[in-house]
Amino acid sequence: MNIIRRKELSTFLIPTLLTCTRNYAFKSNLKIKWVRPEKIPCYNPAKSGDLVPMPKLDKTQLQLEFRNSQELANANDLVKKLFSLEYAPRYKTTQLYLRQLIDSTKRHNQDEGSIEAKIARWTGAIRAMQDLVEKFPHNVRLRVKLKELIDKRKKQLKYLRRWDYKKFEWLIDSLNIVYKPQPLDFQSVTRKESLRKLTDKHCEDIRSDRLKTFRKQLEAEQPKFLQEKMCTLEFIRKEQEECNVEVTVAQEEIDKVKDQLTNLHKHTPI
Amino acid sequence: MALSAASKSFLLLGECVPCLKHNASKFKIRRFELDTNLLMYFRKVDFVYALDPEKKCKTGDIVLIEKCPEQLTRLITHKINQIVYPLGDVVDPLTGKRVVGGKFREHTEAVNQVYGKMPTAFEYDSAPDRGWLEDVKDFSHVDTYVKYHESGEDQPHAV
Repeated sequence: MNIIRRKELSTFLIPTLLTCTRNYAFKSNLKIKWVRPEKIPCYNPAKSGDLVPMPKLDKTQLQLEFRNSQELANANDLVKKLFSLEYAPRYKTTQLYLRQLIDSTKRHNQDEGSIEAKIARWTGAIRAMQDLVEKFPHNVRLRVKLKELIDKRKKQLKYLRRWDYKKFEWLIDSLNIVYKPQPLDFQSVTRKESLRKLTDKHCEDIRSDRLKTFRKQLEAEQPKFLQEKMCTLEFIRKEQEECNVEVTVAQEEIDKVKDQLTNLHKHTPI
Repeated sequence: MALSAASKSFLLLGECVPCLKHNASKFKIRRFELDTNLLMYFRKVDFVYALDPEKKCKTGDIVLIEKCPEQLTRLITHKINQIVYPLGDVVDPLTGKRVVGGKFREHTEAVNQVYGKMPTAFEYDSAPDRGWLEDVKDFSHVDTYVKYHESGEDQPHAV
């Protein structure tokens, strides 16, 4: 009796045990390797969207406030050198850079407060600060100031986009900024979620690959099929004509198939 | 199953949202739905796909869409009637003048002329149509995502 029961059990249970799998807390069989992206600080140009850093200006230029001085124009070279950027503090160079950026975008001579002039000024300040942060990464106040300015610029760009799209495009192009809006559903990166997304992508790739190969296979079969179709249609037409029955296959239909076939031969590489 | 309110009406006003489909655009339709228990209206958002083979609708545009007599595909049920307000290029319906924020473009231009317009300043007439910087410097027409994997490839839509 026991033997019989054991036999019955084995016949019923083993196949079910083999097929049934635990669908939780299991690692996937797919060999997907996940690499956690390196964290980029928010003040980094890669995040802020600045494509060009602050350029190295010609240090022999005069400081901004002495540009229009008549006395300096008549002075000797040594005095001129003393009033150049070379002997001035760093902020004088930044001042000049900001002026250049504002001048390239402002509306009129007196314009300082239009949105394009403001964004140009902030952009110059951001690039100058990004330069400094690289040198002094422990300056927390500077980092905070920089982050706040980047956020302010982004917010104003968002408004400008909504109000005046053409000007927004012109401005980001002339200032060399990349504008990427924040994703709607912001989630921190986790291993589980990332693997889920990668698995979905993997499945999608498999599906598209198979569809592509199937398409190729069908396209390879096309000439043979069209040839056969043409022959069959011609045969039917001929038979109908010979038997004096109503002709259901028009000559245009056959010509159409012929055209398709010639087109196919033209486009297929030899 | 009861049909959603958006699918019942013939004409709808929707906002275009980013969509990856080649021949269709996706629209966000905001409606108020009555809660019969509380006798209060609550905001409800529906999404509808409309046929748009030329991709005339850009993200953010306010578009009038109408229902197709027959459902075209499983997703596409509507077609585009009219783009009412293109984003960032709004025309005042009363005067027919272009508007930026709360001001007419003409008025701002007149002020610029009085102060002496800069030759490098922005010109509306010579500016190209919207979309010339798409996927170059402007990525606001797509759904961006937080970068979750370092694949070694360039991921332009990742933040």
